[in-house]
Parts: sequence; structure tokens; C-alpha cells
Amino acid sequence: MSGLEHIGVQVVTAPQDGARSYVPALLREIEALLAELVASGRHGRIDLRSLPLLPGDDARLAALLGNGEVDAAIQAMGGTRVRETGVAGVWWVTHANADGETVAEFVEVTLVPEMLKTHPQDARTGLARLRERLAELTHEGETDG
Amino acid sequence: MADNQTVGETLASRGISRRTFLKFCATMTSLLALPPGMAEVMAETLARTRRQSVIWLSFQECTGCTESLTRSHSPTLESLLFDAISLDYHHTLQAAAGDAAERARVQAMQDNAGKYLVIVDGSIPLKDGGVYSTIAGHSNLDMLKETAAGAAAIIAVGTCATYGGLPHANPNPTGAVAVSDIIKDKPIVNVPGCPPIATVITGVVAHFLTLGTLPELDSLGRPKVFFGDTIHDRCYRRPFYDQGKFAKTFDDEGARSGWCLYELGCKGPTTHNACATVKWNGGTSFPIESGHPCLGCSEPNFWDAGSFYQALSAKTLPLSAHAGAALAVGAAAGVAVGLVSRAKKKAAARQHTRVSADDLEKGGGA
Repeated sequence: MSGLEHIGVQVVTAPQDGARSYVPALLREIEALLAELVASGRHGRIDLRSLPLLPGDDARLAALLGNGEVDAAIQAMGGTRVRETGVAGVWWVTHANADGETVAEFVEVTLVPEMLKTHPQDARTGLARLRERLAELTHEGETDG
Repeated sequence: MADNQTVGETLASRGISRRTFLKFCATMTSLLALPPGMAEVMAETLARTRRQSVIWLSFQECTGCTESLTRSHSPTLESLLFDAISLDYHHTLQAAAGDAAERARVQAMQDNAGKYLVIVDGSIPLKDGGVYSTIAGHSNLDMLKETAAGAAAIIAVGTCATYGGLPHANPNPTGAVAVSDIIKDKPIVNVPGCPPIATVITGVVAHFLTLGTLPELDSLGRPKVFFGDTIHDRCYRRPFYDQGKFAKTFDDEGARSGWCLYELGCKGPTTHNACATVKWNGGTSFPIESGHPCLGCSEPNFWDAGSFYQALSAKTLPLSAHAGAALAVGAAAGVAVGLVSRAKKKAAARQHTRVSADDLEKGGGA
């Protein structure tokens, strides 16, 4: 590497005196979305990047929601992590680019996040691919025989 | 050439899953400040859409805008944009050359009359009949007018296409002007920057492809969602400005502590762009985060706005007065300084202050 890490630059985070956390308001919004999911099945999503969160707000929200049973990793031009929080039906979805930088982050209130589902078109492509392989195997079997 | 494939078919043929495309759309909706639930709608709509014909015209430019959009060491989400469009003409990227290249442009215009997008980088020289930049024997002016006539909309990318940029700088030897100085009867979106942020270009195109409309623009024709705030408004060093803590040189204690770069010439208070939030190099950082003042490259006439290393308020008000005012009234002082800074910037533009070796050597701006 270039040795840049040896340059003595120290970035100091400015104090946030007097600033108010958005976490309580976010929890209320999540509560409303979850109540809607339970009542009507309608899912909701909060774009965490669109909110003027204070440093540490996202970590505080994550800690308050806790960890659930599912923690899925997806490789789709960069990693995506889909975690169910300790509140069933509330998911934390983090999209990263190929360099590992977070490019989008959402709280999703749903039974199954869309990112975990296989799209019907992909399933059709998968079926075609599987049949090709079966045909190859059949051909190899006939050749060997 | 334009084709009849849908975006979904193109993705499938290239082995890109719809899940990856959904991720791209989720990122776009976040960037464009669209309702988060729009991601699935955008993904389904785009997948069924025929690929949008795009004609990219490069005039008096350095190719930095194209580099910004295409350079990457690994496939990026932004690169998926190229699967959603049919790039029918682009000097640098197309395989065809000479007459074949020009025929591709004319064919795309005929096949998609009234529907194609034109992206322009580079300014257009008007002096001496436009002889200073020609393509296939056509002046940039003629090519722009001919191509724009049948376009649905035009996206001017880079500060040269949006405001004239470096070619337009005093004394502007080629008579360079912006796209909007010539084309008056088509919707034009300006995406300035030297270079512009790739994600912003992608976002504007994705907005048009998905919603069929252009994003809301500010008075300079820039998408408000990306250019609504100044760099100063969104800068993580802003609290130091409010506290009156400034780096005086590039290697003093203030610089090492990450303090505000205002006195080193930062143009953040008068510059509207998304660098502080979208960032560069895969979201790694932006100039101020790397310790260098903002140059103000997304504003008109930034080359003529004085030295990059002279504080906006230098010689207009003592900087200590700014610092004291900022300490006293915080954001209100920021607004006042912004007004003073803009006045200073205009004055510098009139005088066309040149950058000297001393400017580069010295640390303080005042």
C-alpha cells in the first residue's frame, strides 16, 4: 500500500450539543408501519439515508430493535445484508457497492423483504438453465453408453 | 444501433439477476429522494421498457465527464445504467468510426424521432463560424442544433456543457457557450461539475426512464434533489466553521484536526453540489474530506472566480470578524458570510484574478 495510513491526520468529530435524536420518532413510525402490516398485510419501508440522523442514531436504533432469527447475505454487484431485527416483521437492509461502501440503507416492515425473493423471471431463467444441464447430462450418458 | 430489447431482456442476456436490478432501483430511489416503496415499481417499469435511445455528443471537452461515468475497477451499480439505455452514438465508446459513426447518429435520430435523449458534454465554440471544434466536417453548433431538433430532452453534463466551463474562461478565445445558450425549445437538465458525479448523471437518466419526466430544477437548471444544498450546508466540517475553528495552512494543527478549510479558499459556501453526501470514488470521500478546499467547480464561471486558495471573504471583511460572528449567531452568520462571499466572487470574476505560484505555496487565504 501507499503508507497513507502513517500520515498523522486526526479527524475530530464535532460535539452535537443540543441536538435531538431522531430515534424515538423513528420507533413510532416503525410501530405504525408494523400495525399496518398486521392489520392489512401492507408493507412499508423507511429510507434511513434520507433522514438527517445524528452520528450514532443508526447504531442506537439498531440496538433498540435488537437481533432476530434471520441474517442473510446477498452478493449482487456488492454485498447486501438482510437482517430481521428482534421485532419480528421489522428488517434492516443494507446495500453496499462492489467496494464495500454502503450505498443505501432501509428499515423494511414486511413478512419477507423483496430482496430475499426470487423474481419469477429469474426462476424462468433458472428453469431454462437447469433443462440445458439435464440435456447435456443426457447427451453425455448416451455418448458414454 | 437502437434495438427492440426490453431492459429486462437485456439484463437476462447479460446474466444480471432481477434481484441485482432491484438493488440498483432501491439505490436510485434513495438518491432521488423518491418514496422508498418506488423501488419495486421502478424495477418492474424499467424491466418492461424498451431501451431508451441515447445520443451522446462531445464537443469542447476533456472526456473527464465520460471518464467519471465509466471508469471503475469493478462493475458498479451505476454501470447498470448502460443496460437500461441504447447508447447509439458516443465518440469515445462506440466501435464504429468515421462515416459509419455519423450514420449511426442519423439512424438513431430517424428511428426514435421525438423520443431520444441527448447527452452533451463540452462547450460549443461560436467564434469565427465555430471552426474551433468540428466533427466529421460539421461544426459543434450545427451538430447540436440538428441533433437537438428531434430530441425528447437534453442533459448537459459537466460545467463546460452547462455554463461554458474552462473554454469559456476569460478571454474565451473560441467564443465558447453552454448548451442552454443555443437550444431554447427543449427541456434541458444541467448536471454541472468538473467532472460531474456519475451517480447524479445516472439518477437523472433513471428518473426520466422511470417516470417519463425530468426532475425538479433550480434557477440554473440543476436537479434540486442533488443541487439544492451548498457543500457548506452538508459539510461534516461545518460545526468547526460555526465554532470559528479554521485551518490556517495545509499542515498546521487545525488541518491535522480536520477543522474548516474556509480560510484556505474553500468555495463550499457558494457551491451547490452533492459531493458531501454522495461523495467520490465509490463513496470513499470528497475533496474536503481529503483535506483540500472545494474549488466550486459546479458553479458558473468558477475558473474566473479568483484563486482557488484565496478565501471568499479575503480583503472584503477581516476573517476574524467572520469567525466572531459565526460563533455568536451560528447559522445566521453563515448566511451573511455566504452573501459576502458571493459578492466577492463576482468582484473577482470581473477582475479575473490569476493564480500565481505564491497562491499555491502560501497557506493562509487572507
